[in-house]
Amino acid sequence: MPSASAPRVNSLGLLILPSALLFALFFFLPIGLMAVMSVLTGNPVVMPNVAVTAKHYARIGNDSYYLEVIWTTIRIGLWTTLVALLIGYPLAHWMARIKSRTGHALLLMAVLAPMLTGIVVRTFAWMTMLSDKGVINQILTSLGLITKPLQLMYNETGIVIGLVHIYVPFMVLTLTGVIGRIDERLEQAAENLGATPWRAFLEVTLPLSLPGILAGSLLVFALAISAYVTPILLGGFQIMTLPILIYQQISANFNIGFAAALGMVLLAISLLLVMAYNHVLGLVSGQRELQ
Amino acid sequence: MTSLAPQSRSDLAAPVDLTTAPATRRKAPPRRWGRTLYLAANIAILAFLLAPIAIVIVFALNPTPFIQFPPVGVSLRWFEKFFASRDFMHALVFSLEVAVMTTIAATVLGASGALAIARGNLPGARLIVATMLSPLMLPAILTGLALFQSYVLLDVGRPVWGLVAGHTLVTIPYVIRTTLAVLHNFDTRLEEAAQNLGASPGRTFFEVTLPLVKPGVLAGAIFAFIVSFDQFPVSLFLVAPGSETLPITLFNYLKFDLDGTIGAASVVSILLAFIVVIALDRTVGLRSYVKL
Repeated sequence: MPSASAPRVNSLGLLILPSALLFALFFFLPIGLMAVMSVLTGNPVVMPNVAVTAKHYARIGNDSYYLEVIWTTIRIGLWTTLVALLIGYPLAHWMARIKSRTGHALLLMAVLAPMLTGIVVRTFAWMTMLSDKGVINQILTSLGLITKPLQLMYNETGIVIGLVHIYVPFMVLTLTGVIGRIDERLEQAAENLGATPWRAFLEVTLPLSLPGILAGSLLVFALAISAYVTPILLGGFQIMTLPILIYQQISANFNIGFAAALGMVLLAISLLLVMAYNHVLGLVSGQRELQ
Repeated sequence: MTSLAPQSRSDLAAPVDLTTAPATRRKAPPRRWGRTLYLAANIAILAFLLAPIAIVIVFALNPTPFIQFPPVGVSLRWFEKFFASRDFMHALVFSLEVAVMTTIAATVLGASGALAIARGNLPGARLIVATMLSPLMLPAILTGLALFQSYVLLDVGRPVWGLVAGHTLVTIPYVIRTTLAVLHNFDTRLEEAAQNLGASPGRTFFEVTLPLVKPGVLAGAIFAFIVSFDQFPVSLFLVAPGSETLPITLFNYLKFDLDGTIGAASVVSILLAFIVVIALDRTVGLRSYVKL
C-alpha cells in the first residue's frame, strides 16, 4: 500500500467546506424545515401557539381526491418511462454501435439539441403540434383523413407525448453508455453459432443491458413525476399531478403546511427512486470493474 | 475405434448440412429486412426528437398570428415584437444575469468540492458524491418549495441571492461530475512527479493539477449556464413578481397566448444554447462529458 493513500484529510480536503456549507444552508436546512412544517398547525414565526399535528398527512390519506392525484402522477410517470424506453433503446443501440465518428457526433447532437431547448419552449412546440388547430390535426384534415380534430392535447396522452420528448435524451444517454460497454464480439459469436441477429440481440445484448434499462427507467420516472410545466400546459390545467397540486397549495391557498406534507410524499417517492438508481449504477460500475 | 470413426464423421457432417446451406438461404432476406426496419425506426425516432424544434422555427417565421401549416410566408414580425417587448427584454436580461452569477458560484464551489473529493482523502467520499449529485434526481420543484418556505419563515422576501442559491444548488452537480471525470482520468503520478522534483504542494496544484482539470471545469460551467438559463421549477417558487426569468415569463405568456412571439423567444434561446454548446465543443470537445 502506498503511503500517499493514507486515510488522513489533507489541505485539499478543506476545499469541500464551501460546497458543504451551500448544501447545509440551502438544501438540508430547507428540506428539514419542510419536514417540520408538514407536522405543524401553522407558521411558528407569525403564530405564537403552534402545535404538532398529523392533520396534513391525514388529509392526504383520507381524501380519495389526493390519492387519485398521486396515482395520476405515478401513472403518467410509468407511461412516460415505458414509451421513453421503447423509443430510446433503438436510438441508444445505434449510437453505441455506429462505426463512423461523424455519425456518432451527429446522433449525439440530435439527442442533445432537444435537451438544450428548455422545457417551456419544448412544451410550447408540442402545443403547436397537438392542439385542435395544431400541425398534426391540420395535416390530417387537409389529407382528408379526419373531419373532426383529434383530441391529442388536454389529456394524459398529450402529457405523456410531451414528457417522453423531454426525458428520452436521459434514457438514450444512460443506455448508450451501458450498451457501448457490452463486448460486440459476444453478439458476433452468437450469430456465428447460428443465431439470427434478432435472437442474438434478445439473448445476449438485451440481458446484458438490463442495468442500463433499469437505471434509465428510474431516472426518467423520477424526472417525469416531478414535472410541472408540461403536465399543466399540455393537460390544459385540467389534469392534476402532485407538483401542480403542490404549487397550487402555495400560489392559490398559501397553505404552507399542506404543501409541505405533499412535498414530503413526493420526496419519499423520489428518495426511494434515488436509492434504487444508485444501487443499480453501483451494479453497472461493479460489472465494469470485473471486465 | 472403427465404430467411432463413421459416427463422428456423421456428427460433423450433420450440423454443416443443417446450418450453412439452409441458413444462408433463410437468413439473408430477414437480415436485410431487419436492418431496414432498424434504420427506419431510428430515423422515425430522430424525427420525433427534432420535429418540434423545426416547428418552433417555422412558427417563429410564419406571419400569421395563429398556427398555420404549411406556412404561408416568412416574416420577422414576431422577432420585432419580442425585442420590442419590455417584459421579454427585462426577463431575458435578468435570466442572463442570474445565469452568469449561478455559473460563477456553481463553478467555484463545484470545482473546489470535486478537488476535495478526488484529492482530499475525505472519509465517506462516495456518500459525499452521491449527496452532491442528488439535486439532479430529486425533484427541483421540491428544492424550490423548500427554499420558498425557508425564506418565508425567515421573512427575507424573495431576494435575487435566494434565487441564485437555488439555481446554484441544481447546477453544481454538473460541475462536480465533469470535474470529477477529469480528475479520475488523469494520472496522479504527474502530481507526484512534480512534488518529487521539488515543487511545493501549492505550486503542484497551480502548475499541474489546475491546467489539467480546466476542460472538465469549463464543460461543467457551460452546463451550469445552460441549465440555469432554462431553469423553471426553482424559479417558479423563488422569482419576485415583476422580476421574472425568461422561462417564467414565457410560461405566463403561454397560458393566455399562442402567437409567434413565443416562437421568436424560443428561437432566441435555442440560438443562445447552441452558441454556448458550439463554444464548448470547440474548446474542450463534447464527447467525453455527456455520458450519464
